[in-house]
Amino acid sequence: MRTDSVNLGNVGVISILILAMGAFAAAENARFTRTVETLEIPDVTLVDQEGEMVNLRAMVLGDKPVYLEFVFATCTTICPILSAGFSSMQRKLGPKAHDVQLISITIDPEHDSPEVLAKYLLRYKAKPGWSFLTGTREDIDLVMKSFDAYVADKMSHRPLTFIHLRDKDQWVRLNGFAGSADLLKELHEASGE
Amino acid sequence: MMMRHLLSLTSFFLISMLSAGFSAAAGGQEELVAGLPSHEALRLGKQMYRQGILPSGESMRAFVQQDIEVDGTMFSCQSCHVRSGMGSKEGTVITPPTCGSWLYKPLVGAEMSARSQERVPARLDPPPFRSAYTDAGVSRAIRLGKDPDDRVLDYVMPRYVLSSREAEILVYYLKHLSAAASPGVDNTTIHFATVVGPDVSLEDRQAMIGPLEAHIRDHNSQSRPEEQRAKTGPFYKEEKFAPYRRYSLSVWELEGTAETWPQQLDAYFLKEPVFALLGGITTDEWAPIHDFSERNQIPSLFPLTDFPVIADSDWYTLYFSKGYYQEGEAAARFLRRAEAIPRDASVVQVFRGEPRGRALAEGFTATRGKMDLPAAEDLELPPDVEIDRFFWKSLLERHGEAVLVLWLGPEDLVSIGELVGFESRPPMVFLSSTMLDGAVLSLPEAVRQFTYLTKPGSFPEDEVRSRMATERWLQAKKLPITNFEIQAKMYFLGWTLSPMVKMMRDDFYRDYFFDIVDMMRDQYYAIAVYPRLSFGPGQRYASKGCYIVQVSGGAEPKLEKRSTWVIH
Repeated sequence: MRTDSVNLGNVGVISILILAMGAFAAAENARFTRTVETLEIPDVTLVDQEGEMVNLRAMVLGDKPVYLEFVFATCTTICPILSAGFSSMQRKLGPKAHDVQLISITIDPEHDSPEVLAKYLLRYKAKPGWSFLTGTREDIDLVMKSFDAYVADKMSHRPLTFIHLRDKDQWVRLNGFAGSADLLKELHEASGE
Repeated sequence: MMMRHLLSLTSFFLISMLSAGFSAAAGGQEELVAGLPSHEALRLGKQMYRQGILPSGESMRAFVQQDIEVDGTMFSCQSCHVRSGMGSKEGTVITPPTCGSWLYKPLVGAEMSARSQERVPARLDPPPFRSAYTDAGVSRAIRLGKDPDDRVLDYVMPRYVLSSREAEILVYYLKHLSAAASPGVDNTTIHFATVVGPDVSLEDRQAMIGPLEAHIRDHNSQSRPEEQRAKTGPFYKEEKFAPYRRYSLSVWELEGTAETWPQQLDAYFLKEPVFALLGGITTDEWAPIHDFSERNQIPSLFPLTDFPVIADSDWYTLYFSKGYYQEGEAAARFLRRAEAIPRDASVVQVFRGEPRGRALAEGFTATRGKMDLPAAEDLELPPDVEIDRFFWKSLLERHGEAVLVLWLGPEDLVSIGELVGFESRPPMVFLSSTMLDGAVLSLPEAVRQFTYLTKPGSFPEDEVRSRMATERWLQAKKLPITNFEIQAKMYFLGWTLSPMVKMMRDDFYRDYFFDIVDMMRDQYYAIAVYPRLSFGPGQRYASKGCYIVQVSGGAEPKLEKRSTWVIH
């Protein structure tokens, strides 16, 4: 059996030095990588925070720029930062927030019921235009695989943000933690401006 | 703008250092922290750490990734550093320990005893890669994101906007967080206990205790010479070997009514402080033992109960499931998805005034409430009401179009076939397969088409491999199969226990133990009675699902799934 919890004081000398370097990243270092990819979105029906069934493909291929992230409600580190980014972005967009479609997809569908998702969005002061989706384990796995974001264990997931370029089948993949300005900068390209 | 902000925080930092100095100098009979009695500072510091709420009652504010402003309602220190302060690892993100026992000493990578330090040549002694924090240093890290060696912390670490007083309170809490090992562990042994209620049959008692004791015997038998390695193992493996402890398991037998259990549990605990409770079994509600665990902050892992406490924020008991309540939840969710039934359709719940029916009804009602659906009409039957043809006739006359949710046992459902003998019949009927127990397949054929049952466990044919593994293990341990469900659950508990304990190394903190359990990956291999168990910080019911099934037609009926394991 395996878990991913870490007792920092109890790993070996070499690994702890590696961990330490990770924890003290210099400000100048890139905090994420950016690639552009062509993705095939599966035709699956998921459930949003209101309990309504939504077709993912129809949702992402609409006429709005789309930002998409994989998170879960009881996540310790990665998801709070990603979701705080979405929250900050909506706040900075102000009245234009509903012109951008934000989608969070849970990777813990057993626990994350629509009611849990609704509470999560409330915590992050989500405005209209931000949907949080759950579904069956099979459908969620399918979606994660289509974004090359699949992990068998949710505690091993990565900080990923996907941005759909309007009128194209291409997505920007940000691998790492983007700041608020970084996310807004991507919006210009996603909007075709 | 950011620079101005940082300069402003630096001013706060200097003031903070000065005020900390004055506090220490004051040095009266009672230690004052930020002008508060120490216990009050700890309470407020805990509130900051766990809930992200300032002493003023306002949310803490911070910046992550340099320009993302967050407040304490979104996440708190505990989110990443976890409840014990021992830190976490998620994907590529490492969150180091932030508790006093780790902050206030230099990090050198490996912890060595004095004996080992004598054995290791000085030239091989690695230099610390992080100096020890001081109070002022911790305050600076929280507010400015710099470590004692002046290195910039990763920007996933929030930079908190705190006054000097607020920082002093939080630092004081961190200094005392996981500062001393929890009771129940000594130099040789980790002490556990299991609780047995008074009305548990001898057979079920043994089905629960037998596998636990077998696991503990296995651990203590030391298939490798663990105790020897702990004493004389190589210095570079000391961290791994030295924490080895034997396990002991006490059985805390409860007597009398549940009202007297708290006193009995307190007496046991006073006599023998244990590190955690393992398993346990009662026929009554688990609430008195749940409350005992909360009160004394003792982890209770996987008790066997159909009546757990349903709570969103309690911490110290991890259940297999919500029991009967969870079946009620599943029925409510399935009904919402039923295409033929309007969401505002009339629903009637019928149950007896006994714990099983009430727990099922509570789960059903609460879930409909969460989904903003109209409440069902509850019909709690007195003991003297007999359920016969006239009962069904009367029920249908009053609620002819209603969905019927019948949380009743087999003796009350003998005449359920009468439901089709009248002008109208209910569009859907829900039953609990757990309440029906072995009588599920004798459901009259006439009602099978519109009757659905909750089934909160896996189908044996879906779990052939894990069932076989469990059965063979029981056989190897010479434990005859008397109650497979109980034995399979305790097999799983024992199977998870040793790896969880090993993960703690010698940081024997109860909260850390549960922090580790919370980060366990989803399990399906070693659990033979559920399709999947999943975990996560604060999640306290490992099984999240319940099938909705129907009984097939024909002379050889069987259960057929009508839903996925988890219904949304």
